[in-house]
Amino acid sequence: MSPEVIIRLKDAVVRRDGQDILSIDSLEITRGERVAFIGNSGSGKTTLMRMLKGYITPTRGHVEVMGAPVPLGNRARMRGYHRQIGMIHQHFDLIGRESVWQNVYHGRLGYVPFLRSFLGRFDKGDREICMRALKEVRLDDKLYRSARTLSGGEQQRVAIARTLSQEPTIFLADEPVSNLDPALSEDILDLFGTICVAYRLTLLISLHLPELARRIADRIIAMKAGEIVWQGLPEELSEEKISEIYERGERNGEGYDRLERTNEFHMSWGHGAKGHLVPGS
Amino acid sequence: MPPDWSVWDVLWRASLETLQTTIAGTFLGALFAYPLGVMAASNWTPPWIHLPVKAAMAFIRSIPLLILALLFVSAVGLGPFPGVLAIAVHSVGVLGRFVAEEIEATDPRPLLALQGTGASSIQVIQHGLIPQVLPQMVAHLAIRFEMNLRDSTILGLVGAGGLGFYVFLYIKQFQWEKTGVLCLAIIFLVFAGEFVSWQIRKRLI
Repeated sequence: MSPEVIIRLKDAVVRRDGQDILSIDSLEITRGERVAFIGNSGSGKTTLMRMLKGYITPTRGHVEVMGAPVPLGNRARMRGYHRQIGMIHQHFDLIGRESVWQNVYHGRLGYVPFLRSFLGRFDKGDREICMRALKEVRLDDKLYRSARTLSGGEQQRVAIARTLSQEPTIFLADEPVSNLDPALSEDILDLFGTICVAYRLTLLISLHLPELARRIADRIIAMKAGEIVWQGLPEELSEEKISEIYERGERNGEGYDRLERTNEFHMSWGHGAKGHLVPGS
Repeated sequence: MPPDWSVWDVLWRASLETLQTTIAGTFLGALFAYPLGVMAASNWTPPWIHLPVKAAMAFIRSIPLLILALLFVSAVGLGPFPGVLAIAVHSVGVLGRFVAEEIEATDPRPLLALQGTGASSIQVIQHGLIPQVLPQMVAHLAIRFEMNLRDSTILGLVGAGGLGFYVFLYIKQFQWEKTGVLCLAIIFLVFAGEFVSWQIRKRLI
């Protein structure tokens, strides 16, 4: 049996202000694969991840995840979709005042109906799932510390546990280690390796440093100005290639990531708000 | 002139009335200020909701408290009740604005992360927004209480009950000994209010 393709992109284009900030002719990722994306900031790595997560609507093209197009604009189905796609971010994005335990519990929200989560009644199954996730990231001894008192590495591990507790199929990690020092970065990356096996995840991870990408990936994809410029096995990534990839050329999407981040959250009963990005759920 | 402590009885009753007016007014105001504040937050509601609500709160803020009290005195008569209403309305204007600004200033990224786990909008509010803003909300409420206490000591000037009424009465009768005692009471009350508010905020931060 040939391996199952879990993500399939065909001519996917995201266009902002008259520029293609992402333009991918063809990309296929199979189930269980670990793919690292490298490239300068503004090269489209983040845009690609947010598109796969369903935060950004492709301007045109075909984006198929788990055998179906992303259910953009369908609120109920989007909620189920979000559950399947775990995502962690550079800034951890935890609720700082809440305990580690509470933050990991948040991963279960997508499964619990409103009234039960409102009353804080998570059942035994939920608790076990959270506990397993916390053990996996080795934080089961810090359950009641509030998240903001933890170190950066620990906070990122809480974020990973939160994502694991939502039992995703695909794990998107957008620059998960760029706020951490080198030793911690390697630590977190090795953790990704373990959890991908333990939870049978498909991992898409974007990284600044090629060395880190080599450490974790089955396949490395290099991006530049919104396009895939190279892909291959980690051992095929030569130093000449790296300097070519990171050479500062025309940078279409410069500053876009930052701009986008501030505008994208708004509640679904609202309006199109300030941004043009409607998460749809 | 030595202070005349024979007003002790009046002082006790009036202080209590001022305190009660403040508490009732502040909480009545908060009851309306929180929902209105959420409605006035520009990142949560569309412009046709938040703009009018913001404008209404700005309008309220532009009316001095004494004028509000005067208005309510002529509407519902003398006594502490118009004082409560004046404090409440004034608090809606001030507190609602704080609530709105606090919500607008919350970091949206954790909220997006929660939404990304599959949480519904209401779950995002309960588990993401409220924990982030709650401490500041309580701190603002404490400050509001402190300031309302200070303000309500003079509400009596226009007949809206409390210490101010007697201060004004004794001034008109040139009974400076008694006025002095009441002024001391006001100082004490305001100081006590500040102390309580400070204690609450200290525990939060």
